[in-house]
Amino acid sequence: MIAAACLSAQAGSFRLTDVTFEVPDSGYGVVIGPAGAGKTTLLEAIGGIVPITSGALRLHGRDATRLPPDGRGVGLVYQHGYLFPHLSVEANVAYGATDVAFAREIGRRIGADDLWSRDVRSLSGGERQLVALARALARRPSVLLLDEPFSALDPRRRSSVRRELRALHREAGFTVLQVTHDFAEAGLLGDVAILLDGGRVLQAGPPEEVFRKPASPYIAEFLEAENVFAGVLTRADPATLDPDERRAPSVSYQTFEFRTSLGGLSMVAVGEAEPGPAHAVIRAEEVVLSSTATASSARNSYQGRIVELATTGALTRVTVDIGGTPLVAALTTRSARDLALAPGASVYASFKAMAVHLC
Amino acid sequence: MADRGLYRVASVVTALAASCLLLFLTAPVAELVATAGLRGIAQLGHDVELRDALVLTAITASAATALGIAGGTPLAYLLARRAFRGRAAVAAALDLPILIPHPVAGIALLLALGRQSPVGAALLAVGVRITGSATGIICAMLFVAAPLYLSAAREAFARVDPRYEAVARTLGDPAWRAFRRVTLPLARRGLVAAAVVMWARAISEFGAIVILTYNPKVASVLSYDRFTSYGLGEALPVAAVLVILALIPLILLRALRHDRGPADL
Repeated sequence: MIAAACLSAQAGSFRLTDVTFEVPDSGYGVVIGPAGAGKTTLLEAIGGIVPITSGALRLHGRDATRLPPDGRGVGLVYQHGYLFPHLSVEANVAYGATDVAFAREIGRRIGADDLWSRDVRSLSGGERQLVALARALARRPSVLLLDEPFSALDPRRRSSVRRELRALHREAGFTVLQVTHDFAEAGLLGDVAILLDGGRVLQAGPPEEVFRKPASPYIAEFLEAENVFAGVLTRADPATLDPDERRAPSVSYQTFEFRTSLGGLSMVAVGEAEPGPAHAVIRAEEVVLSSTATASSARNSYQGRIVELATTGALTRVTVDIGGTPLVAALTTRSARDLALAPGASVYASFKAMAVHLC
Repeated sequence: MADRGLYRVASVVTALAASCLLLFLTAPVAELVATAGLRGIAQLGHDVELRDALVLTAITASAATALGIAGGTPLAYLLARRAFRGRAAVAAALDLPILIPHPVAGIALLLALGRQSPVGAALLAVGVRITGSATGIICAMLFVAAPLYLSAAREAFARVDPRYEAVARTLGDPAWRAFRRVTLPLARRGLVAAAVVMWARAISEFGAIVILTYNPKVASVLSYDRFTSYGLGEALPVAAVLVILALIPLILLRALRHDRGPADL
């Protein structure tokens, strides 16, 4: 377990302030945030490299706030690997290991064993990352801190190493905290997502919640939510709720009408909010497109015109203009083809009131 | 067109100036070695005073360098790695002996360590004489040459990314072991170069030594003594041998630069 409570740390002129989050025992936490957010400093503070100036850090129930790095049981993998250039690959992996045979086995599982005889200085960025990961794992850490450990690996290798790391994580039960810029990776790996910016935690929680319910328009935009609208909220009549919306997760949820400032698009939203100026966030995956008007439980349904189609592999993003408001929908490329979507074509876009996140 | 002509004239003037300086710096030394190098080496066979002076120079310079490494390495590491109040003032104070004239350094040392000083008197009471002894020579050499070691060693440590050490710490090394296993090997070439520079500076020292310890004579003092007592003819072979001795650290430094080690990463 990693438990940070109001943790502050100073690294040069950069300050990490009041960082609070918890990654459960054998959990997998991911840290996301823009460049310069303090992600590496956070890992270094947990690893004992950067001194904690206030607050508390507990690692597996033990107060680690003042422990030296060698007494914390952490493994730290930097993005650049920092392999010791005066040692061989094998000596690097075995550097902190108490069991050389285990170090070799880890090297084999991570895929670094074929690098054994290579000069460290001749390794590519991705190979360095593999060796650095094997080196950290060979010490059997109870907490593994990873700073973008797969960034230099090719997609195929990245996927296999990620799979092996997850297997090792399951077997050994260590707790992981990983910095990543890859939101798909964050959603795929993480039990907890921590969004950091300017040395502060903006939001922490299960990745599903962080991605679907960003706490602010800034977070929504950072998390690449395509539909973030500024507008005004007014209360709507609860009697107009459909059965799905009546099963709202909390009694404090209310029904609102939200009108966008740009384009004046009106939509029904359900959530916890106060009437007045607000932002509405709708994930593109929540928007359903159809070529004809169909009966559905979705409360928000509009006719619009396709402005743009952007295909990236299996996914296509479609921008639909609805009375001057651009709404982005994400669907599989195959579905887009089946619907014969094309710029200029008329289309129906719909989404549920519960899909509108208010912040 | 006019620009090209101006550029050509500037190139010729620059090349001429550089050649003149190169000639000015190398010609006297080359002429000295050419004139008296062989005679100097031959003189080593029968000139006991010259032989003793060279041995004394090598031993005292080595002792001063060893002391400089022992005290200077932790200090250089501290200055390179740790931020503390007054670090800039400490660094400036350590550079001061490089800037002051060397006879002045000798006078300062005489004041601090001479028989009349409390430290000198206390040392004399336990049988350690500074002035007129090899100890005095070592003190003078250490005073003028150690700042060069400190400065270069500090640079050598600063060039090693502290994250190597951070990784070693998370791999179970206490601070001292991480320093020994990672930082020291990575800074090794820079530290050896710093030690060679210090040794070279120590063997060439004259001003501070002559104030503190005229006798026994190191090679630089002997060449001066022969010049003032017997003239240029007698001083030449000694001076030439000293130049040849100075070539040793120069060759070592060149060899170190060609040895592309891990710190080049």
